[in-house]
Amino acid sequence: MSLVVYTHPSSHAHVTPPGHPERVARIETVDGVLASAEYDGLVRRAAPAADDAALKRAHEPGYVDAIIAAAPTEGSVALDPDTHMSPGSLEAARHAAGSVMAAVDAVVAGETRAAFCGVRPCGHHAERARAMGFCLFNNVAVGAHHALATHGMDRVAVVDFDVHHGNGTQDIFEDDARVFFASSHQMPLYPGTGHPHETGVGNIVNVALGPMTGGKAMRDAYTATVLPQLEAFAPELVIISAGFDAHVNDPLANLNWLDSDFGWVTTEICAVARRVAGGRVVSSLEGGYDLEGLADSLRAHLDALIAHDAAG
Amino acid sequence: MAEGNDTHPDIATLSFEAALAELNEVVDRLEGGEVPLEESIRLYERGEALRRHCETQLDAAELKVEKIVQGRDGGVQTAQFDAE
Repeated sequence: MSLVVYTHPSSHAHVTPPGHPERVARIETVDGVLASAEYDGLVRRAAPAADDAALKRAHEPGYVDAIIAAAPTEGSVALDPDTHMSPGSLEAARHAAGSVMAAVDAVVAGETRAAFCGVRPCGHHAERARAMGFCLFNNVAVGAHHALATHGMDRVAVVDFDVHHGNGTQDIFEDDARVFFASSHQMPLYPGTGHPHETGVGNIVNVALGPMTGGKAMRDAYTATVLPQLEAFAPELVIISAGFDAHVNDPLANLNWLDSDFGWVTTEICAVARRVAGGRVVSSLEGGYDLEGLADSLRAHLDALIAHDAAG
Repeated sequence: MAEGNDTHPDIATLSFEAALAELNEVVDRLEGGEVPLEESIRLYERGEALRRHCETQLDAAELKVEKIVQGRDGGVQTAQFDAE
């Protein structure tokens, strides 16, 4: 087995306004990392597009229809101050969500133990019926619903280490005991949610990290809270919302994690997955806005996934 | 990365009360969830600069109180300012 990586050219066609941090250069950076010689051994696959039915498992049907209708034929449409659609955005968003579905299929079929989706737009802020925070469709939520609906799974976990709270994923699953959702994030910061007292139906874990607390606070919180609760939930599949904006160089946050912290958290999540989830891990790109920091922390993440894939 | 007060030069001119009021407003806005993602970090950093300004002013007030106490005691002992 080898780590499988899903990408799609449409990720380059989601164009945001000049100066926007969630920009095409991010996916060029991801592609550049994946093209480096050290990753020659990875299996590359094109991400398929998610159809309307798959999107409507995670989102209100009317919301999906509205996003489709909002897609411009030229220029750019602002859905909120952060979130924009260009003519290529709808196709990119369909493939971003579809990448997680295909990755779920691959790990469930036993073709690989782990898969990484290097796609954009990101997804974890997209709620059941609201686009926000650079996100149109909630890629990991579409993937988790796909696992529940088409693979007969009863227990799926999503772990989100993006520096911002995964409010969209929480919104979609806060009443759904089949899905465990854990998010670690800087607080106070966008979007303002993610307090530890937000626990859903006992299936939501929120870890609020103070600004400038660095990797040690994160490691302590995962060791004390996230990892034990993830293990106790005993999921059949673990999906990672892999945002790299907690990196020390990121312009949009101040958690100050180092590359090695991203490697550590990935390694630890994967270790739990090997113990309780048959090793099935799917990771999907979320944020990360300093290109060098994104590249370096993504390498640490990929190296941990590769080690997990090869582990006995 | 958090920025220093030198990137918010107007804050140095604020009174303690004005800075605290704005800090409370910043916290309310951040917790209210209506601040765009891109603006969120800049607002947090302004809040951090306001907090430092308030702390500096409190420290200065504490030194003044210590001086006053020192004067009354004839210059031998000082007493800590106690906000409680």
